[in-house]
Amino acid sequence: MEVKVLFFGVLAEVSGTYFKHYREVKLLSDLKHRISDDFPEIVHYSFRISVNNEITDNDILLKSGDEIALMPPFSGG
Amino acid sequence: MEIRYLTEGPVSAKIISDFVEKSARKTDLGGHSIFLGQVRADETDGKKVRAIEYSAYAEMVDIEAEKIKKFILSEFSDVNAVDIVHSTGIVRAGEISLLVFVSAGHRHQAMQACTRAVELIKENLPVWKKEIFEDDSHHWK
Repeated sequence: MEVKVLFFGVLAEVSGTYFKHYREVKLLSDLKHRISDDFPEIVHYSFRISVNNEITDNDILLKSGDEIALMPPFSGG
Repeated sequence: MEIRYLTEGPVSAKIISDFVEKSARKTDLGGHSIFLGQVRADETDGKKVRAIEYSAYAEMVDIEAEKIKKFILSEFSDVNAVDIVHSTGIVRAGEISLLVFVSAGHRHQAMQACTRAVELIKENLPVWKKEIFEDDSHHWK
């Protein structure tokens, strides 16, 4: 299985990428650990996480094709 | 008019006037409240903002903007239409980056609903701004 992680705003700049695919990851909490291993600097920023366009604070079971977005505070307008 | 919620670059006068023209076909409306967000040349540490570069999670913008529209239409019974256009990419100081166009039977609800819609957009639309200064350095807001 494979999921896609999107980096937005300052997080895209800090991580140096707009997206990255991760394989064989079961839980959102596992994915968060793998992301922070790959991009340790992002832990210094505040952000929310969405899974398939829904913001979530829960640890959830991921499935293949899920799109996870790391989103700093919104600043549109 | 094929515009959804995002447009590349500034919200042009043409986009705004197209909404005005479109409204002329509806004769049960008594008023429109229009909010235009404009890029301000803020100054930080003696450096002036020359532009803002907006980035957005386009797919989620569609979902969230749709939710805002539905909410406004359900909260304000006199409101007949809510249109939202937000810029992506570069918008220079003085240019328009956000259009909220609310149409209603009467002015009070048009104005109240427009204010509420702008607040909801600020809170819920996944859009990010990067201020670009005159010396090309930048700052994420």
